Order: sequence, then structure tokens, then C-alpha cells
Amino acid sequence: MPGIDKGEVLRYLGHRGQRIDPALDRLIDEEIAHCLAVAKPRTVYRVVDISLDPDGAPRLPEANLELPGRAIRRYLDGAGRCVLLAATLGTGIDTEIRMQQRVDMTRSLALDAAATACIESVCGDFQREIEMTAGGAYLFAGTRYSPGYGDLPLTLQPELIQALDTARKIGLTCTDSMILLPRKSVTALIGLFDRPPGAGVGPGCSGCSLRGRCDFSKCPREPEHNP
Amino acid sequence: MNIQALIQQRPLYFDGAMGTMLQSAGLEPGALPEEMNITHPQALIDIHRAYTEAGADIATANTFQANELKLARSRYSPEELIAAAVRNARAGGARYVALDMGPLGQLMEPMGTVSFERAYEIYRRQVAAGAKAGADLIVIETLSDLYEARAAILAAKENSGLPVLCSLSFQQDSRTFVGCDPLSAAVTLSALGVDALGVNCSLGPVELLPVVEVLLRHSRVPVLVQANAGLPAIVNGETVYNITPQEYARAVAAMVGQGVRIVGGCCGTSPAFISALRAATAHIPVRDIPLERVTAACSGSRTVVFNGRVSVIGERINPTGKKRLKAAIRENRMDYLLGEAIDQVNAGSDLLDVNVGLPEIDEPAMLAKAVRAIQGVVNTPLQIDSADPAAIEAAVRVYNGKPLINSVNGKAASMAAVLPVAKKYGALVLGLTLDESGIPATAEGRLAVARKIVDEAGRHGIPREDVLIDCLVLTASAQQEQVSETLRAIRLVKAELGVHTVLGVSNVSFGLPARELLNASFLAAAFGAGLDAPILNPLSGRYREVVDCFRVLNNEDKKAARFISRYAGEVPAAPAPAAIERDLMQIIMEGRREEAAPKVNELLGELQPLDIVNRYFVPALDAVGADFEAGKLFLPQLMQAADTVKNGFEVIRARMAETGEKREPRGRILMATVQGDIHDIGKNIVRMILENYGYDVLDLGKDVPIAKVVDTIRGEGIRLAGLSALMTTTVASMKETITAVRAVGLDCVFFVGGAVLSPKYADYVGAEYYARDAMDSVAIANRFFGHK
Repeated sequence: MPGIDKGEVLRYLGHRGQRIDPALDRLIDEEIAHCLAVAKPRTVYRVVDISLDPDGAPRLPEANLELPGRAIRRYLDGAGRCVLLAATLGTGIDTEIRMQQRVDMTRSLALDAAATACIESVCGDFQREIEMTAGGAYLFAGTRYSPGYGDLPLTLQPELIQALDTARKIGLTCTDSMILLPRKSVTALIGLFDRPPGAGVGPGCSGCSLRGRCDFSKCPREPEHNP
Repeated sequence: MNIQALIQQRPLYFDGAMGTMLQSAGLEPGALPEEMNITHPQALIDIHRAYTEAGADIATANTFQANELKLARSRYSPEELIAAAVRNARAGGARYVALDMGPLGQLMEPMGTVSFERAYEIYRRQVAAGAKAGADLIVIETLSDLYEARAAILAAKENSGLPVLCSLSFQQDSRTFVGCDPLSAAVTLSALGVDALGVNCSLGPVELLPVVEVLLRHSRVPVLVQANAGLPAIVNGETVYNITPQEYARAVAAMVGQGVRIVGGCCGTSPAFISALRAATAHIPVRDIPLERVTAACSGSRTVVFNGRVSVIGERINPTGKKRLKAAIRENRMDYLLGEAIDQVNAGSDLLDVNVGLPEIDEPAMLAKAVRAIQGVVNTPLQIDSADPAAIEAAVRVYNGKPLINSVNGKAASMAAVLPVAKKYGALVLGLTLDESGIPATAEGRLAVARKIVDEAGRHGIPREDVLIDCLVLTASAQQEQVSETLRAIRLVKAELGVHTVLGVSNVSFGLPARELLNASFLAAAFGAGLDAPILNPLSGRYREVVDCFRVLNNEDKKAARFISRYAGEVPAAPAPAAIERDLMQIIMEGRREEAAPKVNELLGELQPLDIVNRYFVPALDAVGADFEAGKLFLPQLMQAADTVKNGFEVIRARMAETGEKREPRGRILMATVQGDIHDIGKNIVRMILENYGYDVLDLGKDVPIAKVVDTIRGEGIRLAGLSALMTTTVASMKETITAVRAVGLDCVFFVGGAVLSPKYADYVGAEYYARDAMDSVAIANRFFGHK
């Protein structure tokens, strides 16, 4: 089971140093425990080769994925292979959050934030595992990069989950509007490199399409948001 | 010989994996496997032939996801691909050809966006095509959601006469991805009348054994197993399956020995597996396994077994004598109903009765709507309660799981109308012991009616364990001598018929004082007589005490663990320490939600309801809101204050419902999360705060079709509407919604919000206002309606 960092949960709740009374503090702890009791983290991944089109655009032939946009080209620059990752906490946590909203909005909000921290933690654990074991022959793994980051389109979502057969393997689906269901889910690419990947190609704010107009508390991605 | 007859003689063999075979036959990564039915027919024929020669009786046509959702971008229609698939399977020499229907590929409501009707329609198209193409049977497989399985099974049975097999995929926790357990699957699918049920995919035969054992004990139809070739492992970044055909065959043969009748293979298996399987199992005689008959109701993720324990059925969702519920039903608002559902579940209800019968409404539509809404917020099985068989059918059709129908009675007309519905939808049915001549005066008379119902149900194909009996309570004030007849009837019915009993206990005290006291005593006596499931108000403390006690005395609450945890240390209520007297303002600002309702009650002694709203709620929220805007508080603290006001408002609403006082709302606002978007927590927060300020919010929910927004704005004369969207992909839908409203000339002002929204986006979608957060929405509404 992944750990949930309370600091992260507070960050998603928009906490910026305000005093938290003991009752609220306890409530947040309880919802973190609640999340850990309900979440059923599952991941599926593949490692595939990268080939470059004549114009330099990367594609993943084994997964039948073309990767449009400048950002992903920069991200995968120098990568030898690419990990496709999908992770989810399952439908149970969505159901709890939905039910809780009817009864207690504060708790529902805390549970929602805990679940976001939880799926991040699942991905973080995976990232570490890949860095340690895998990539196999490769020494370095880039920070994961998801559809919607930079100019990598969300419309990649259905192809990505199909390439990983996520519906069958982990119960992850995608709606016509490119929303992943269950809600607390992530899909991502992770480049594998022989040498440390170039600085600044991570999924920082600089690469984000919401840069400058997002709500920090809702961003699951980037510590630099946190002032 | 037809397949049902064959299955009585020997194990029946499906084929194995299709996907890997197609890949070796040249399926491109990312291509739709079903298209090969037309583009590479010979490859399919060869695969089917290989499996047939290996000993498969049934060829699974390559139609797993030949549905209109998956084929949206294909140049072929489901009909074309299904016809070709059946043709290829036939050409491969198979004895029987199965139309294969897998999951839709998208989640159904309430977890996802696909409605029951839409799912039914998608499957119906596949069934019609398969039947027309000449398939011999239908196999529905790899499903996780019982709701999806119900849609597929009903589509199959209503649109073809073919045998229907259904198998779900279970994970290592013995549940499906969406939380269905094997017992629920066995009782629900058996009762729906499938010809076989079982498991496929996800795990190897060894890991599936515990699931298969439950299915074998509880399935009334043959059990089928199509496992993967072991647990998947990832080697060089790709999934592989590790066990050999011989290991697979050995493990599955053990299951056949235990009673599994239909076998085959799933991911990682090949013709070699099927041939090994056939060799290892052909000699095993067909074995009839003793069925463990249980009476069970279930939702999509929870089962209530009536055997060996008492179950509480919550009675509060019934408008009789309830003004607020009546008003909620008439106004077509589900919130109050959902609140009642949640309260009863939290108070320990095992099932909930749902009755929305009012003379002036469209009861079938309303009951179905209520059932849909309730199963979206609680996973407690439901008892569908109506005197109108059409309403019962409408509701059980959209129910997810195995419901309990309340009720049928011994009248010929009632049995003729209700029992076929119970049979078709696989429901439990509650029989009332009355018939054309009324309620029999004696226990023997009621037993006779009960027997008539059980027998007639049997003639409709409903087994005895799916019938429950209500021996009916008469009031002690009017027919005192009858009360003990009810208790005697319970004993007789249980002893003679062996069915479970249900009883609405509260009638007994009608017309007498201290009703709860009398009801609780009667409940204890009824438990003593063998009552299994009282219908009662679970919020009553007295009832709860009786139930808790009986569960100890009846050896259900093992070692009295629950009883001890609830009652140990209970001391006579000492005088409470002088509570710190807090002002309502302070209570709200500090988010002390438990203190709100008592304080508001106290204030109602001296103030009018609206004065409380204006003097306390609004200023307190203004103050908290200002601190929030200034960054002194963060969102959960604002929410605590809002939750506190919500509790206080409940008291005010209840008081106004009692007195019939009408409140002029501060303004009426429509809210919706736009079509395609399902992120609604932000919208729900905004709604709650607007309601706290006294606004009347008409919440259309999430993923709201454009036409529904237009129609509601027109029909309800809405002048201010709030829309939310979280994704860049759904902002377009927001723009279309606003454009559609403007296009028909409606004069409505919009405010919009959501993670990706900005003033610029608000302008782009054509909204008048951008709402940064909930407090901003209040400011917009106040300005619009001219409040300070």
C-alpha cells in the first residue's frame, strides 16, 4: 500500500500556512486512513521502443502511438525506450467520495485530496521501482509525462489505455470527453535514458498548458506551485 | 443435440485466447481485432479450426467488442463485423458458434456516464446481429459490473431465443473491479435466468479456485471457467503468462471434479491448452452438486443473506404521513429522499424500502428515478415497494443487483401481475398473506395464503428461497386478539414452508400512546416467533436496542462484540457539564456542526425561521467567506462552516414544512456540470454555499445534456444559471450549452467556473460572469438578484 503524505493532502486542499484546529486536523487524518482502507491501487505498464519520424517526431510503433507536439519531442530527446504506465485507485474511492458529499462536504473534500495524494504516491512508487530495476539496460528514468502536459494532447488517452489494455488489466476506462474513469487514475509516459535526461524537460509549470491560470490546489503535478 | 442437453452428459469445451492468435496472424498494434473478420477471414477460420481440432465444442466468434462504442472510428458496423465473425467461426468447423459480448469499454452510471438504457441498446444491436447471423448461443464475458451484465442479459433474452452464458472477471481480492462478489454474481445471474454463469480472465485457475467454489455452492445453473494461463508477469516490459498446458489442464480438471461443467481458456491459452484440457477432463463424470440455497438480496457491491440472521428493512422512504417527502416527490427533487436513504443506512439498515406512491404522479417513472438515484449514493440492497405492477417493473428493470419486490398477495390478479416480473428480473418477492377474502383471521388461514403464493411462485419458476412472507400485523387498539395470531402465523409459515418472513411492525401500535415502546416489545416477540426481517424506522433508538439485543441472544453477534462496543461503559446519563454557551454566529464560524441543530431549535422559540437565516447564517457565512478570500482560512474551514449552516438549515426546513410556511427564496439558480464532464465536487460546493445563503438551487447534476439545460431554463423560467467544467475538452461543451440557450432566445445570465476556467475562457464560452470560487458565486448571485 502506498503512503500518503499529509503535507501533500494539505497542499491539494489549498493550505497555505493557516492555523488548523485539532478537530480539523483529526478529520484530515481520518480521511487519509479512510482513503488507504478503500483504495485499491493497480498499475499496468509496458516498455516499448521509440522510433523517430523523418521530421524528428517520436512514435511508439509497438503501441501504435504517435506522439504529437513539441513538448514530448523535447521530453523524449535522447531516450532509448519508453515506459507506458497506467495507474488507478479503482471505483471504490470514487463511490466513497460521491456518497460522502451528501453527508459531509468537508470530509468529502479531504477524502478527495487524500485520494489525489494517494494516486500520486502510487505513481511515485512506480517511478522509483522503474528507476531501480528497470528500464533494464537503462540507467535513468525521466519524470513521468502525461497527456495534457504541455502540448501533448489529451486525445492520446484512448490510444494509450488501449495499448495497455487497461480496461481488462486494471479496470481503467476513458470517456468520450477524455476523462479517465475511475477518477483517481493516471496515464503517463516515462522516458528511459543512458545519461541523465536534460534539465527542464520534466513536467514543470513551464511545460503546462494551464501555466499562469491554474488553481494550485487542484494541480496534482508540481511542487513548484506551492509557494 | 442442443447444447443444454449436451451439458447434462459431459463437460462442454470452449476455445482459448483469441487476441494472441490474431497477433501472430498479423494484427497490427492498435488495430481493432474485430476488423480482421472482414480483412483477414482466412486467419480467423484457421484459428477456429485449430481450436475445433483441439477439441473445442464452441467457437467464440471474434465479436468481443464489436459494439458501437468501440467501433465508433471503424469503417465497419457492428452488424457487418458480427455477421463475418459468425461466418468465419462456422467455416472453422465448430459444432456451436457463440456470439461473444464483452464489456462496453466505458463505465456505467453512477461510476461512469453510460446509462442502463444506452447499455441495453448497444448490446441489443449486437444480439440482433448475432441472432441474424445464426449464432447458436451468446456468451457475455469479462464483465466487472453486474449492472452491465444485467443490461446485456436482458438485451440477449428479449431479442433472441438463444442460450445465454455470462461470466465475470474477479481479481485477487475475490471481487470484480467495481466491487461485485461471487455470491452476488451467483444469486443475481442465476435468478435472471442465464443458462450458465462463471468466471473468465484476470487470474489463473489456481487463483480463481476460491471464487469458483462460491459459484458452485450458490449457482442454480452450470458453472463455467475460462481462466488465464496463470498470473500475468511482465518480462522485458511485456505481459506474459507462465503456466504450461498440462498445469492448466490439471488445475481446471480439479474444478471439473468439483462440479464445473463448462471449461475453456482465456488470455495466454492456445489450442494446446484446450487439447490438454479435454484429455484431462473428458472422463470426469458430470456431477450434480448440492446447491446451498440462500435467500439473498444484493446491490452491485453488497449482498444481504437472510439465512441465520435478522435483517432490518428501513421504512422511511414512503410518503404516507410525511409532508416533506410528499413535497419532494411532487417537486421531482431527489435530495430529501437521498438524505433519508443515507440516514437509514448509517443507522444500520440492511435493506431500504422505496415507496413513492402518490395519487397524482407518474409512479412508474418516479419509482425508477428514485431507485436510480438511491443506488447512486448507497450500496444497500433495495426493496421496491408499490401497489402498481407497472411501477415495480419500471423500477426493478433499472435496479442493479437482486432487489426484493414489495409486494404480491394471494389474490389471483396480484400473482398474475407481479410474479412474472419477479421471475423475469430475478427479484426476491414478498408475499402478503391476504387474498380475495381479505386477511384471514387465523394463523392457519394466513399459512394457507402463504402456501398458495409459494406454490404459484414455483409454477412461475421462482424457487421457494426467493419468496418471503409477510404475515401482516393488525392494530392492537382495534383487533387486539389478532396480534398473537400474527406471531403464531410466523411460526407456522416458517415451520411448514421454510421461507423467510418479513413484517411491518409499527402498525401494531396505531391509535395507542407510547407507540415506540409497544412497537419495540412487539418486535422482540416477533423475533421470538422467528421473524427474519422487520420493516421499521431504523432511526428509532428503541428498535435499535431490540435488534442489537436479539443479535446477541440469537448468536449472530459473535461474542457480543458489536453489542459490547456499542453499550459497554454506558452509564445513566449524568447531568451534562454546563455547556459553554455559544452564539450561533460563533458556532458557524468555528464549524461546530453538531451544535447547529440544537441551537437553531432553541432560537426558533423566539425567532421566525427567516430571521435566523438573515441574522445568523448570512452574516456568519459572509465573515467566514471574507476570511477565506483573504487567505486567513482555507477551503476545508469554509466547508466546515457551510456544513454547519446546512445542519441548521435542515431544522429550518423541517419547521417550515411542519407549519406549511412558504419561504420566498432569495433567488432561483440552475446549476449543472456540462455534458461530457463528470467532475462535480466543485459545483456541489458552490451549490451548498448558495443554498446556505437561502438561494433555491435547481441542480441538474453532472454530464448534463445541452437540451436538458435549455428545456429546464425555459420550463422553469430560470434567469441565472451556473455551469462548471473541469477539462479543456469539456469547455467546448460549455460554449455549446450557452450558445444553444441564446439561440432559442432565452434571456438567461450565466456564470461559469471550474479548474481550467478563467475570465478569458468565460468570455470565450459566452458567459456573463467568471466565478473564481464559491464565495465569488455568491457575490454574483447577490448582485444579480439585487441583494446588498
